[in-house]
Order: sequence, then C-alpha cells, then structure tokens
Amino acid sequence: MISERARTAHSESADQLARRALDALRGTGGAAVAAVHVEAAAAESGGDPGVALGAVRILGADVLAPYVLTGQAPPAGDTAAVGLALSALPPDETPPPAPPAGTEEAWTMAWIDWGLATVLARLDPANSPVRAAPLPQDPPRCDDATPRDLPPTTAAHDGDRLDEPGAPAEEGWVSWSVRMGKLASLALPGLDGPVHDAARAGALGLARGATRATLRRDHPTAARITRWLAWLHADGVQLPLDPAPLTENIGLLGGGDRPALDTAVARRLLGLEDV
Amino acid sequence: MSPAPAQTAHAIGSRALAWLHANREHGKLSDCPRADLVDDADTYKGLGESALAASLVLRGGVAGTAELALARELLEFCWQQVDNGALLYERLLRHPLKTDPMETYAHFVRGGYRHPQFERLAAHTVTLRSTHAVEHVPNRRLAVANSARVIGFDPGPAAYDWATLTRATWLGATPEPWHIDWLTGYSVTHVVFHLTDWGRLPDRLPAELAAYLTRWLPVWTEIWAESGQWDLMAELMIVGACLPEPWAETGDWQRLAGLQREDGLVPRDDQPVEGDPAELFDAHQHPTVVAVVAGTVALTRALGGAGQPGP
Repeated sequence: MISERARTAHSESADQLARRALDALRGTGGAAVAAVHVEAAAAESGGDPGVALGAVRILGADVLAPYVLTGQAPPAGDTAAVGLALSALPPDETPPPAPPAGTEEAWTMAWIDWGLATVLARLDPANSPVRAAPLPQDPPRCDDATPRDLPPTTAAHDGDRLDEPGAPAEEGWVSWSVRMGKLASLALPGLDGPVHDAARAGALGLARGATRATLRRDHPTAARITRWLAWLHADGVQLPLDPAPLTENIGLLGGGDRPALDTAVARRLLGLEDV
Repeated sequence: MSPAPAQTAHAIGSRALAWLHANREHGKLSDCPRADLVDDADTYKGLGESALAASLVLRGGVAGTAELALARELLEFCWQQVDNGALLYERLLRHPLKTDPMETYAHFVRGGYRHPQFERLAAHTVTLRSTHAVEHVPNRRLAVANSARVIGFDPGPAAYDWATLTRATWLGATPEPWHIDWLTGYSVTHVVFHLTDWGRLPDRLPAELAAYLTRWLPVWTEIWAESGQWDLMAELMIVGACLPEPWAETGDWQRLAGLQREDGLVPRDDQPVEGDPAELFDAHQHPTVVAVVAGTVALTRALGGAGQPGP
C-alpha cells in the first residue's frame, strides 16, 4: 500500500512537472518536459526517477500538451521518457470496469493512461510501446433531470429505466462532473472517444459542476471542469454558459501549478491566447 | 413533484405553521407611536412575514381544516396587531413615500381583509410618479408592484412596467451563475416570488428567466445546502416550486424535514438553536415562515394548482 509520504512525493513531483509543461507551453521553459523532469530527479540528491516517471503517468497527456497545442515536434528525449513511463508499469491488458462496478481510481487511471498513450502514438509512433493502449470502459452519462446526488446507476439497479443491456450508467451531475474533472487531461485537441462523447452529452452537467466548484472555491476542480467546457466550445458544442469569462476568473484566482496548466490549456482551446 | 416530496412538503409546512401560531405572541408590536414603526422595524417586518405565510396557506386551497383554522387565527392576530389596518393607514398618511404599508397590507387582502380608508389613500399615492420613483433596490420595486397587483391597483391607473422592473434586477440580466453571492441569492428568490405572486402566476416569469433558473437553481440549492444556510436553501426551494415547470428534488425536502425541530421551528442555519422562546422566535421566525411558504407553494403546485384565482 502506498504510504502517505510516497503519495506526497508523487503529488509534489506532478506539480513540478505541471509547471514544466506550463513553461514549455508559454515558451518560457526548456524545449523538453518529461525528459528534463526525469533527469532532474536522477541528478538530485534524494531524487527518485521512479517518482518522476510516476508523475508522468499522473499528468497523463498533459505532459505532451505543449506539443499538441503548439504543433511543435517533441524532442526525442521527451517521447522516450513518456514511453519509458508507460512501459515501466504497463496498463492492464484488461481495463478495469467503470463505476459503479469498478473502483474510481483504477478506472480513472486507465483513461489517463489511454490519453497519454494515444497522444504519444500520434506524436512519435516509434517511441510508443508496442501494444496499443486498451480502450477503457465507457464513463457513466450525466442525467440532467435526475437527482443531482444520484450515484452512477445502471439499468439493472433501477427498475424504472428501460435501457438496453450494457448501456452506460447514469448519474447526477454533482459526482459526475467531479469525475469528468479528474479526466481533464483528455480535454486536448485531437483526442476523442467515449469520455468526450459523455462530455458532449453532458454540457449542462459540466457547466453546473464548474459553477458549483467555483462557488465552493475549489479552484483545482473548477479549472479541470472548465477545461472540458473549453474543449466542448472548440468542438462546436452549444454551451449553457460562456466559458471565456469563467476561465479568466479561475485563472485570476490561482490555486497552484496544475490548475494553472488546466487554465492555460483552456485559454488556448478558447482562442484567448495565441498559440 | 413526485408524491414523496409532496407529502414531506406538506408535513414541513403544517408543523412550521403550528410553531408560528403557538409563538405568535412573541411577534407582538410594542407600544411605539403608531406612525413611527421604524423604531420597531424588525418586529413589524416579522409580523408582515407571518401574515404572508398565513395568507398563502389560506389561498393555497391544499391545507386541512386544522391548518386553515391556525392560519386564520394567525392572520387575525396579525390584523389585530396592526389595529385592523388603521396602523398601516396612519403610517402611509404620515410617510407617503414608504411602501411597506402597502406591501404589508397586500398580505391581509390576500386573506380577505380590507381597510377602505387605506385603500383610498393608497389608490392615490400609487398613481404618483413619486411613488414609482422611490429609490428601492430593483427586487423591492417588484415587491411593491406585486402588492399593487394583489390589492387591485395593477393593471389600472397605477400600472407597473413589469418588464423594465425585471430587467433591472440581477436575475433579469441572466448573469454568470458562478458569480452569485449569499445576499444576491435572496435577491433572486424575491424577484421570482414577486413576479409570480408566490407561485400563483408561474407563467408571469419570463421564459428566458425560467430557463435560466432551471439550469442554475440546482447548483445554488446545492451550494447553500452544503454550507448550512437553511433559510436561503428553503427560499431557493420555493423558487423551484414557482417555476412554470416546478423543480424539486426529494433529497432537499428530506434534508429540510430532517433539520426541522419536532415543534416545527426551522433553524436559520447550522449553528446551535439556543435561547428562551422569545429569542428563538427572533432568530428563527423567518426560516420557519419560509418553511410554511415552501410547503404550501410546493404542495399546491404538486397537486396541479397555482392557487385560487386572485387579484
């Protein structure tokens, strides 16, 4: 079991890596993100390259976001570091079941891995692990009309619903939007799949979730969910609120390196900033 | 509303009414000079709020015999406190720019009381540009307009420009929903209360405001439920019941029922409920009035009505 200390180390490393990605995106840092991060961990006394590689997995596709958003080719060292992070502890061949059948954490990680592997395969097929990233199970869908605190509920558990067997679970917008926020690294141009389809079908749920998080002053969650709204805007989806002032508001409130990266990505998705 | 919250709404409203009735003597006006109610403003305001709650129970047509009797006694008590309307008349005579006499009087009209002298005087003042131009906050202007409508001055020579009044409010701007604060939350609820006359006229809520509220009301209700602001949470639940397509979630009604005391008192927030009966009345009369209104309006709408036809 992962200790509290190890968890903190991973989290701090992920924050640093987010800062590196942010600097690269703004053109103020070096050209490499993941490679520099892993090398720095190896060079520091007390540094742990294993933790640095773990941070790559935590951030997922965001590690490669600067290249996706700027169109610049990633340096070979960077894609090699990402490939190493993916192959060091390969994702399960059989993806874990989606909530409510499976645990949140394993399923969320599977999707973040999918995003990282998919972007890597596109940017630098040569450095991708041989095996294609398995597609995890579909996320629950947001039901705007259901009680807001309804947990993921499959047809089998709900006698009133006449869904086809195998249909994704439905869920109230509160927990659904928070979970979508945890998958915010998938909200990048060019990535598309079942999670993105759930976002398209849940624009109101995302807007409500972003509004709730902002009013609760939970800036990291607000930044993550708002990034989905920005992605939907770029995708041409009609939104129940204007994501631009919300993105600016969250950017002004701060909240750390990862929210800053989410906001920077959202700004580019919204065309608020020249790439 | 499904049957479960309708039943819960009814239970909440009737328990809250019983508490307001049982504690009504704590809302007595003191012996200040009658035209000088400003010195006793809080008590006077509270009296008007109890009268509002009672008048809505009487209007709703969904209360049982026992509740109707309690509501009638409560309204009668309030009417006696304002000396059968004479006190409101004297206050308006002395302070012609004050709108609270008319706002309070409207609750009694809803319950069938009239004071002819007051109405002659008010019928005159509402035709004055001066009365319409009093420098209220925008949602209060709607309170005045609704009072005039309930009393029978609108439409008529004192007709109010509802669309312009509505646009001037925060809600009327359909603003960024993530930028609301606690006090503005109250302003939103009151715009809806007055536009719809507490759920009697749901279709008077402009369609774009109804659509806006349908989107964001669940978020705001969630926020103030989580932060233990029961008074505002319950007001937002009334707003849900005032929408053309009423909105209610069972969990909210169960939460409200769970925090209501056995004797019917509804705490204003999540702080300890402490004090002697007079202090409890001062602190928690408002949320308990809100609970009566919430239960009554929600049940009326759930049963398919929008209240008896009224002015």
